[in-house]
Amino acid sequence: MRGVLGVFRELDSAVDAITALRQAKAGSITVYTPTPRHEFEHALAHGPSVVRRFTLIGGLLGATFGYWIAIWISEYWPMVVGGKPIPSWVPYTVFGFEVMVLVGALSTVFGLFAVARLPRLMMTVGYDPRFTEGDYGIWVECPPDREAKVTEVLQQNGAVEVRRER
Amino acid sequence: MATVARPAEEMPRPNIPSANIQLPAVRSYQQVNDEIIATLTPTGAWFIGLGIAITCLLIGIGTWIYQIYMGLGVAGYNPPVMWGVYIITFVFWIGIGHAGTLISAILYLFRAGFRTTIYRCAEAMTVFAVMTAGLFPILHLGRPWKFFWLIPYPHWRFIWPNFKSPLVWDVFAILTYLTVSTTFLFVGLVPDIAALRDRETNPVRKRIYSILSLGWRNSDREWRHFTRAYLFLAAFSTPLVLSVHSVVSFDFAMALVPGWHATIFPPYFVAGAIFSGLGMVFTIIIPLRRWFGLRHYVTINHLDAAAKLCLFTSLVVGLAYMTEFWVAWFSGNKVEQEYFLNRVFGQWWWAAWIMLTCNMILPLTLFSQRLRRNTTWLFILSLFINLGMWFERFVIVVPSLSHEYEPWQWTTYAPTWVDWSILLGSFGWFSMWFLLFIKQFPVIAIAEVKEIIPPRLRTHTATTDIDAAGQHVDYSPETPGEHD
Amino acid sequence: MSDTTQQTGVRRREFLKILGVTSAGAATVGCGPSEAGRLIPYLVSPDQTVPGVSTYFATTCRECAAGCGVIAETRDGRAIKLEGNPEHPINRGAICARGQAALQGLYNPDRFTGPRVKRNGQWADITWAEAVQLFRQRLDEARSGGRAGDVVFLNRHETGSFPFFLDQWLSQMGLPPHLAVDPILDHAVIAANREAYGVAWPSLSFADARLIVSFDADFLDSWGATVAHQLDFADARAKLRDAPRFVYIGARRSLTGLNADEWIPVRSGSELAVANALLAAVRGAGRADVAAAAQAADVPAETLQRLGAELASARPSLVLSGVTTVQARDVARVVNAINQAAGNVGRTIRPAEPLSSFEGAESMAELGSAVERMRDGRVPLLMVRGVNPVFTMPKSAQVAEALGRVPFKVAFTSYPDETAELCDLVLPDHHPLESWGDAQVLPNVVSLQQPAMDPVFRTRATADVLLEVAMAGTPPAPGRPVDYRSWLIGRFPGGAAAFATALATGLTSGTTPRVTPRAPRPEAAPTPAPVEGEGDFAFIVYPSPVLGADGANKPWLQELPDPVSKICWQSWVEIHPESAARMDIQPGDVVEVQGPGGTVRAPAYLYPGLQRETVAMAFGRGHTAYGRFAKDVGANPLDALSPGFDRAGMAAWSGSRVRVRKAGDYVQLVTTEGSARQHGRGIGRALAVNELGRGGASGEEHAGGHVIPGDASHEPLPGLRAPIAADAEGDLRDPKKNEVGMYDPAHPTGMAKRRWAMTIDLARCTGCSACVTACYAENNIPTVGAAYQSGHTQGLPKTAGANILRSREMAWIRLERYWEGDEASPDFETRFVPMLCQHCGNAPCEPVCPVFATYHSPDGLNVQVYNRCVGTRYCSNNCPYKVRYFNWFGYGETDRPQYAWPEPLNWQLNPDVTVRGKGVMEKCTFCVQRIREAENRARAEGRELVPDEFTVACAQACPSRAIVFGDAADEQWTVARQVRDERAYHVFEELNTFTAVVYLKKVTYPAPAAAAPAAAGGE
Repeated sequence: MRGVLGVFRELDSAVDAITALRQAKAGSITVYTPTPRHEFEHALAHGPSVVRRFTLIGGLLGATFGYWIAIWISEYWPMVVGGKPIPSWVPYTVFGFEVMVLVGALSTVFGLFAVARLPRLMMTVGYDPRFTEGDYGIWVECPPDREAKVTEVLQQNGAVEVRRER
Repeated sequence: MATVARPAEEMPRPNIPSANIQLPAVRSYQQVNDEIIATLTPTGAWFIGLGIAITCLLIGIGTWIYQIYMGLGVAGYNPPVMWGVYIITFVFWIGIGHAGTLISAILYLFRAGFRTTIYRCAEAMTVFAVMTAGLFPILHLGRPWKFFWLIPYPHWRFIWPNFKSPLVWDVFAILTYLTVSTTFLFVGLVPDIAALRDRETNPVRKRIYSILSLGWRNSDREWRHFTRAYLFLAAFSTPLVLSVHSVVSFDFAMALVPGWHATIFPPYFVAGAIFSGLGMVFTIIIPLRRWFGLRHYVTINHLDAAAKLCLFTSLVVGLAYMTEFWVAWFSGNKVEQEYFLNRVFGQWWWAAWIMLTCNMILPLTLFSQRLRRNTTWLFILSLFINLGMWFERFVIVVPSLSHEYEPWQWTTYAPTWVDWSILLGSFGWFSMWFLLFIKQFPVIAIAEVKEIIPPRLRTHTATTDIDAAGQHVDYSPETPGEHD
Repeated sequence: MSDTTQQTGVRRREFLKILGVTSAGAATVGCGPSEAGRLIPYLVSPDQTVPGVSTYFATTCRECAAGCGVIAETRDGRAIKLEGNPEHPINRGAICARGQAALQGLYNPDRFTGPRVKRNGQWADITWAEAVQLFRQRLDEARSGGRAGDVVFLNRHETGSFPFFLDQWLSQMGLPPHLAVDPILDHAVIAANREAYGVAWPSLSFADARLIVSFDADFLDSWGATVAHQLDFADARAKLRDAPRFVYIGARRSLTGLNADEWIPVRSGSELAVANALLAAVRGAGRADVAAAAQAADVPAETLQRLGAELASARPSLVLSGVTTVQARDVARVVNAINQAAGNVGRTIRPAEPLSSFEGAESMAELGSAVERMRDGRVPLLMVRGVNPVFTMPKSAQVAEALGRVPFKVAFTSYPDETAELCDLVLPDHHPLESWGDAQVLPNVVSLQQPAMDPVFRTRATADVLLEVAMAGTPPAPGRPVDYRSWLIGRFPGGAAAFATALATGLTSGTTPRVTPRAPRPEAAPTPAPVEGEGDFAFIVYPSPVLGADGANKPWLQELPDPVSKICWQSWVEIHPESAARMDIQPGDVVEVQGPGGTVRAPAYLYPGLQRETVAMAFGRGHTAYGRFAKDVGANPLDALSPGFDRAGMAAWSGSRVRVRKAGDYVQLVTTEGSARQHGRGIGRALAVNELGRGGASGEEHAGGHVIPGDASHEPLPGLRAPIAADAEGDLRDPKKNEVGMYDPAHPTGMAKRRWAMTIDLARCTGCSACVTACYAENNIPTVGAAYQSGHTQGLPKTAGANILRSREMAWIRLERYWEGDEASPDFETRFVPMLCQHCGNAPCEPVCPVFATYHSPDGLNVQVYNRCVGTRYCSNNCPYKVRYFNWFGYGETDRPQYAWPEPLNWQLNPDVTVRGKGVMEKCTFCVQRIREAENRARAEGRELVPDEFTVACAQACPSRAIVFGDAADEQWTVARQVRDERAYHVFEELNTFTAVVYLKKVTYPAPAAAAPAAAGGE
């Protein structure tokens, strides 16, 4: 895996660079930003996140399980208390709800990890500690013959540093 | 926002929409990292504080061992007052937790800007408060070593808990709450841990941070899914926080004890919980912003906005108190009426009036903006709120049980040193975790603060879509009245 | 205690060995080995005896003079429970709290484990051989000293053969006859009765009376044969419309007085005048007397006039005297005259069929003169058996000093009481449950006493010791009894065989030899002795209804709240609220009572049932020795008295004048009472007699008279109406439909057809609290009040009762005592309500338990599963009746400082019932062990349960037969009929708990003048 990494000070220059790179079809672009910015989303024009599916499925499973465990156990071990019906679904809503939240939340996090490729074990190529501080970064993964062009685009748009990594 | 820029004397205390609070004194992302990560270096005062906390904790542990060996009789229980300080403190700590989730989740959904700089602190408070609260139902058991019987685990004889019991609802609600709020806190921490990792020099800590940061790189893909996942977590936490304290209130509302058996309890408890939690937030954040020199992050405007929320919940709680009396009168149930008379004008008048004064009367001062923006007063008031909310639970638990249907069994109740030192221990436990937290992780969300300070641009005449906080802020020297 | 356990281990092996011997049965009946004779029950032949299965011995209770018949249940050679003997003419199956507690005397951890001698002030254990040797030697010295005539033998008063045996032995030794002492026997009445009827105690027929008038005669607490009187009284009250009205005259309203319909608080000392006035009224003369008497008694004259008229018209009536002032004998005389005049003799007072239990008792004056002789140093040798004069006589009598003047003192007592501590040689006697004997209860009825078990300690029956001394040296001749048992059998008409058969019921007709009646004591003085002391209060000392004279070392009795004050583990001074207000005395303020004999200090209890110029104290506590449970608990009121006697020689405990002052310090009252008023909650309800027959409508309302949503009070007992165990609300079914319950009628256990239930008749209940102690005995309920258990009850003084101050008493059934009406007037009414787990059909405690530790069984029981309980205590919070009790400490754990049964007290524990561990909830189980035992027996015998085949412990003991237990779903059981009584009601019906315990309203009998229903609604 090889490519060009550009470091930017200003937001707008980074955004312009992205636009330019996409027009130049330079290669696959990864943007590093200290904080999420809508400008990048617009510039990169990615689709919506798929995490929502995990959330939905997890929530449904949780609710079902919550009700099921309560009702099944009541029927399995039928003890009369206070003259109340053996499976009383009304109070069991508590379990349906709580377990829905639990499983739903956990599956959301799981989904996040899955689609965001976390945890990531090595981060050698194409990263710079400055990105967690103040600077923006653009990592263009491209074949060697394209690197010159990419470098040029990045510098034109005011990258404070451009380096090739592999 | 123009008003901020105006000279102080014209409008000394701008009344700022809570969604719109800026950090004029924070100029660059770099500054955020520098200032916030600087707070992580331990100080002597911190070690002393930690020492005190651990001492209190040890006192509590020792007392608990004594209680387990001897039996619960060493505590002040006075049948039929079968629940006492432990349950009171349980509800107290659970309540504390709620403000954290409210601020981090509900206000996040409402896009309330003032949450940004205080939510990390509040959320950590939540997790540790729930960790503390979770101990008390076990502490107050007659046979604490059997507590796991309340959990539906596969048993070789297939013995299961009673799902009709509010206490089992508690188990589910609290465990869920603990798990979800911990997850929420951790997920929010990941980008900041990455920031710590990148500037850490000590190899050991760097290693730990690298592991905790899960290799986070601030890449656009990560951020895209992260923001979405965070939104969903918030969306889950919001009903969760409401449900948890409702379930806790069921412990009382489901019983036929006069003073407990009331349909108003769930909303009443939730409001009370958030109220008490905000009190604790003030108690923690006001000293913290001073010691950590973060007054230009957690500004007076933030406290002002939070104080408004606090005032609102206080009014809700007050309404609930009044409603209880009205219901008692309107029900025509003599038992209920006698109980409430005994609560307010009889045996327990002092507890009831501490509660009413601290939770209903004193917070009314927050109608004055001058006091809302006076950190000293906010801090004192927050202490009163903590006290008052502890006594609210006292008034709910003890007077009801001591004055029930059966006059022959009317009694009184007085905690012993055992109850008190276990209460002390719980504060030690909570503070220990919190102190450890604030020196390992940033108490202010680095990445999120960066959202509200405008990014560095080539020109200040950028197109409008290059803006986070909704508009530009022209940086003038520190405006008076903003962060003193 | 380890050595004794080890020793008993050996004994038990012997026992099992004997069990194995099948043919031993016949032998043991006769003159077989004494061990076997003690151990093999006479109800079953030995080969049927199975370890783990109870065997029952019919014997006689020796706790008081009455001599009730008891059945001792033994398991593997240990007595575990005492119950009344149903065939016994005195108690007819009932038993009082003191009788129950005899077991704790048997297993008392402070009993003498063997003979001991005092060598230069130190006690030293010795062997029986040495002890008897020493005894004989001292005895011979005393006899050879030529002062044999001055030797004193004090024996606790009892009827039967032993007094005769003892006198025989004494005469054989050339010693004077013994003194039969009973400190709380009413000698005045006995003397008067002897004059009037020639018998000590004619039987009293309450049921036949139209009006009962009692002058301080507390026939429900301690006067006479309490259990017998209580049974009769309750039967009389159960006649409802035809029941007698009961008027109590006295300066203190005792437990008996609280059961009266009217209380006339006469000034102490004026009883004689009042009695004379009534006598005149009955004879139809003397208005003047009434005015004077009323003036002297400080009561309105019309009250006495009305009573006089009532007494004159109501025939037959029953007038009783129990006055204990210096005028006691005179009042008793006048009262007998009233009975004569009213024609009660032969109708309500039956000299023809007297109780023999009270024959042969010596007056306390005799004891007094004996003490005098000791003080003069004229007594060379003193022998004491079961008497404790140092405690039961006023300190001013200086008994201790007198004993000091006696060269040698032998105690045949098995407890380290004050007197035994002062003796030189202790030859501990067997407990009555370990020894042979008999009692003359009726002129021709003898109640036999047999050992229920092997002796617990190295004790020896006094009679056997005496025999050994008598036969010492002489070779055993044929026919001469080897021990007291064979002596008894030898004298028994019909011999061994008849004896064996008689032992089955413990009863036989015939008479035991009488001691030669001593010449009646000459009148002390022509006029009654003057009232002692000075001050503006009259002092009343009454024997504690629960402790008696010697119950203080039994934790059950110490923990049993006084039926009137509800105070336990403590002494208190009763003072009228008005006097207290005048002297600024709050409850618990320590007051000092200064009497002619000294002063006594105790916390004040404000009691409206006192004449305003009166203070009262209960006798029974204040021991300076007598073991860990009695020592230093409470105060002894006799310390304030002078040793005064009335003309019959009865100790005048009441009437002396005392000064009362506030001592300054404060002691929290160890009371189990929360609020003494019902606050209109209809817990103990009543209706006036003229309201009977109106469907029970008594005009009483509950909970403020509002109809509360969900109020089920008009449902006729829904929880019990169903043919099966239908507890009102079935599985999402209509509460009105009771034909189907929560459990399938065809429940696999087959239990669903029953609905165990209980009725409690408040018209019968007298509040005596025997049920409470019965429950302690049956269900292994720990006592928590002892001083040694208070050590870790934080924040309270480490004195006795600290746990009770935190209301941690464990009484599964408690007796609530509510005041009704205006306490300022003497007309206040009392409601006694036994409160126990109501076994609700819809039990609030069940659904809140997170672990199913409590749930509802198919036969309607509210079950508590101890070893599943984790101790959240939510069930107790949710119980409206507050009848659940929590193990705050390890009362059942031997290694905990709160252990409730120090060895060998734990021998009494019922093997059928778990001893609950620390941290679990417990409550009334309706004696589920008895239910299941009966069911299993029926199943084993291949039959159905017979209606009323068995009952629960409280119902079994209840001396007023107020409690009925059974299957409400089966018409043939008594309870099923009782629950349809017009007086039936549930407590807290409005909560829809559908309880299985049904109360029957109390019935009040307003004075004829006050025709208006006096049944104050639960105000």
